[in-house]
Amino acid sequence: MDRAVIESDPHSLIEGMLIAAYAIGASKAFVYVRAEYPLAIVRLEKALADAKAHNLLGENILGSGFSCDIRIKAGAGAFVCGEETALIESLEGNRGMPRLKPPFPAEKGYTQAPSNINNVETFANVAWIILNGGAAFAAMGTETSKGTKVFALTGKIKRGGLVEIPMGLTLRDVIFGIGGGIRDGGTFKAVQMGGPSGGCIPEHLLDTKIDYKALGATGAIMGSGGMVVMDSHTCMVNMARFFLDFTAKESCGKCVHCRIGTKRMHEILTRITEGKGKEGDVELLQDLCNGIKAGALCGLGQTAPNPVLTTIRYFRDEYDAHIREARCPAHECAALKKYEIDPAKCKGCTMCAKKCPVGAISGELKKPHVIDPAKCIKCGQCVATCKFGAVAVK
Amino acid sequence: MESELITLEIDGQSVSVPAGTTILEAAKTAGIDIPNLCYLKELGPYGACGVCVVEVEKCPKMLRACSAKVAPGMVVHTKSEKALATRKLALELLMGDHDGDCQGPCKLNCPAHTDCQKYVKEIAEGRFADAVATVKETFPLPAAIGRVCPHPCEKACRRNLVEAPISIAQLKYFAADQVRKDGNEHPIKVAAPTGKKVGIIGGGPAGLTAAFKLAQWGHDVTVYDQMPEMGGMLRYGIPEYRLPKAILKAETDAIAALGVQFINNFKIGRDADFAKFRSWFDAVIVANGAWKSTSMRVKGEELQGVWGGIDFLRAVVTGEKPEIGERVAIVGGGNTAMDACRTAVRVGAKEVFVVYRRTRKEMPAEDIEITEAEEEGVKFKFLCAPDEILGKDGKVCGMRLQVMELGEPDERGRRKPVPVPGKFEEIELDSVIAAIGQRNDPEGFADLPQTPKGTIAADEGNFATTLPGVFACGDTVNKGAGIAIGAIAQANEAALAVNAYLRGGEYKPVKPILSERNLTEKDFADRPRIARAVMPQRPAEERRHDFKEVNLGLSPEAAQAEAKRCLECGCHDFEDCKLIRYANLVQADTQRLRGAFHPGFTEQKLVTIERNQRKCILCNLCVRVCAEQAKQGLLGLVGRGFKTVIKPEFKDPAATAVCKDCRLCAENCPTGALRIV
Repeated sequence: MDRAVIESDPHSLIEGMLIAAYAIGASKAFVYVRAEYPLAIVRLEKALADAKAHNLLGENILGSGFSCDIRIKAGAGAFVCGEETALIESLEGNRGMPRLKPPFPAEKGYTQAPSNINNVETFANVAWIILNGGAAFAAMGTETSKGTKVFALTGKIKRGGLVEIPMGLTLRDVIFGIGGGIRDGGTFKAVQMGGPSGGCIPEHLLDTKIDYKALGATGAIMGSGGMVVMDSHTCMVNMARFFLDFTAKESCGKCVHCRIGTKRMHEILTRITEGKGKEGDVELLQDLCNGIKAGALCGLGQTAPNPVLTTIRYFRDEYDAHIREARCPAHECAALKKYEIDPAKCKGCTMCAKKCPVGAISGELKKPHVIDPAKCIKCGQCVATCKFGAVAVK
Repeated sequence: MESELITLEIDGQSVSVPAGTTILEAAKTAGIDIPNLCYLKELGPYGACGVCVVEVEKCPKMLRACSAKVAPGMVVHTKSEKALATRKLALELLMGDHDGDCQGPCKLNCPAHTDCQKYVKEIAEGRFADAVATVKETFPLPAAIGRVCPHPCEKACRRNLVEAPISIAQLKYFAADQVRKDGNEHPIKVAAPTGKKVGIIGGGPAGLTAAFKLAQWGHDVTVYDQMPEMGGMLRYGIPEYRLPKAILKAETDAIAALGVQFINNFKIGRDADFAKFRSWFDAVIVANGAWKSTSMRVKGEELQGVWGGIDFLRAVVTGEKPEIGERVAIVGGGNTAMDACRTAVRVGAKEVFVVYRRTRKEMPAEDIEITEAEEEGVKFKFLCAPDEILGKDGKVCGMRLQVMELGEPDERGRRKPVPVPGKFEEIELDSVIAAIGQRNDPEGFADLPQTPKGTIAADEGNFATTLPGVFACGDTVNKGAGIAIGAIAQANEAALAVNAYLRGGEYKPVKPILSERNLTEKDFADRPRIARAVMPQRPAEERRHDFKEVNLGLSPEAAQAEAKRCLECGCHDFEDCKLIRYANLVQADTQRLRGAFHPGFTEQKLVTIERNQRKCILCNLCVRVCAEQAKQGLLGLVGRGFKTVIKPEFKDPAATAVCKDCRLCAENCPTGALRIV
């Protein structure tokens, strides 16, 4: 949603940054934006040029004697560069790796100078608050979380997109009210809150209020404001594996707990989704999760275990089914899928046998066909081909 | 200006340090060592390893002691449950991703953990006296053991995965022979006398090793033996042609030269009872071996002309000239059977048979021994078991053999011999030598607890018996007879235990935690093949008539060339490695978090520095000292996450050219990832 703000309302960001710079007496400001967002960069460049042309930026702004310049730094897109000290390292031209804190950026930040660093969304709120007053902002939200927050609502939802809501709405309000509920007639299973290092919240917690404290209690985080809705066809183990694949690849490699720990978690999750999990793997994962949370150097590592911890907390039975029965209850894990043809429904049309890329299906014309599980690569072609719904995935 | 002093509490100790000090440095002033792998005071904190984490009261997060500064009234716990768990996890993660051998497989597979790699390297470098000193750190008989040891080290040697193992045993005795010839053995240091007296029963490999060690530690040691000379089975069980007595004598004399007293022709039960013997000493080691031949339990065993294998060998050594006649059968397939058959050939038997229940493939004897026996004319009757020894006038005249076949594999994977019903064979014989095993003689040691096997029961770790101050080791204890180096291994532990006991303590061995690689032929596919040294031997036709040594020994040139084949598997940095030291400190489980290893290989890009990325733990110290202390900045991190490696910057040849070879990188590496070559 930060990209959306830059692309559609870049001046709100510029204004917020200038106010902040004025407040702390900063003369230099940067917008660190991924090079993969060219539209955002183009529009921000234009907005900066326009602001300069109107003397809203640059030397002696509007004759006030205050000077501040904003420059764009295009980053290479490393996830960890969202971590403030890694961002500063990258800004300085170094490898994007977090620094030890303390000292915090407010003390020693960019080139060791005191620095204020905030998200686009935060700066974009500043002008509104100055105009309308803090009380107006604080009037929205809950006791501990004030104002509004933008979420990227996505997944198996009828109406996805960016939604800005006052804090304190429930997850149900957002998903079933604004989002219109689950698409394709599916049933809600869980929502992943807060991006790849967020947590997974199950159905029975849908009435949780969206505020920092209440979300934290579920094991999820506000994080980036991602809100990925999942239906009953999503395997929670596979989902955790997917997010760990991301965080492990995006780990900068500096600290041991994150670099090796996320890799090992991903390996264990992978073997579970392949039906090769062992008794004790869940406990091993929990042990790793808690240790990595405690030992990792930055927020990336400290939050990376969240998807694993929350799926174990709310969907332990799915882990056990994979490990003990080599079964994926959501029928999503390819290695654990079993394709079978229902002889009562099969008309012997041979279409599936013709489509099968590995020749795993055999049978005579007009007689029920069978799938050889030894040859089957679980590609799903037969299911897609069959006009009679005779191929069942178990 | 004097900086302000801050007082805090670390592990219950009150510590006062100047403001701005880190917890790690503050702890150091109180003598508390907080483990760390990526910290160097001169460089300041970095925070990668996560090993230095500590818990601070009222602080919700764990802090890295290398960077967190002290604050007044702070209460720090460096060993709290949570700090230890987080530290241990970091070390287990590192060990699970550490693709290196702490020690060579040769050393690990040697029961006594003799440092084979070290002395092989010393031989390769022509430092023969150093090599002998290295062996003598473990035991005092390199020339003797080098000749007789079935060398488990060579079975484990990684060179097996290339073409053939290093001739470790032959190298060992080469060095010992050379140093004896050159007369340049390093003197062995003996500590000041402790005034404690130790009595050792048995002058074989176990007793002599224990005596050698205890004497060096300043104890007054006396070794008692029932035979006229020291050496035990090495002297009375191993034939002269394999181990010349003069060589053994030189090595036992060297032990006596340390101040160890030898008393021969002394037998417990005959010359003193055990209780009385104990009263003469502060501590006692029983290492009286296994000197009784195991019986075949067949009819006719009482006949004249039936010998036990070791009894026959001993009779030959002591010059008894045993009458075995012209046709002799040896029963058994082990090394004693080979010694017996080849000795039988040498004392004049015309036809010598070895009768063995299984086939050649299953024979426990060393292959080279079997080959040499064949060369000397010994005939093998495989798949035959003695059924009855036939006699005439009370003397052996032949043996009936039950023909066997191989059945199902047993628990060790060896196929079990089963009789073929009704199928027998008879051979004419003048004598039968049963070399099927040996056991201890418990006579005179009734005070000591026994195992169900009849051996003396001793602790498997420190070889203590239930009697205070009495220790027992070697062939006489627990599982019974084994190989000499196995007895030596036990003797080393027993000696440590006695030493501790004499100093009022107790020795409890701890199995060290080590990193070990699991390799296959594939890993060595690119290695050049280099033939193993061939031991020059006397021709079979010549040697079968006398007892002169069969092997002629390696020349110094051949030995050095052979030693240079060593792959040097064990880590050069093992003694100084911080990673393994801390892994042992926290008792890290090296296997629990094993998975794929991070990528990398070994390369030598910067002048004299060899970099093994597979051992690298990414502490980044080399990168930082190069940039900040050497002011070169030639190294950098490449790749992200798990695939990160440290490399010379941008693979630029110009970068390597400006390396000043200051070696700060290698000196500061906490593991063996960097090596100066």
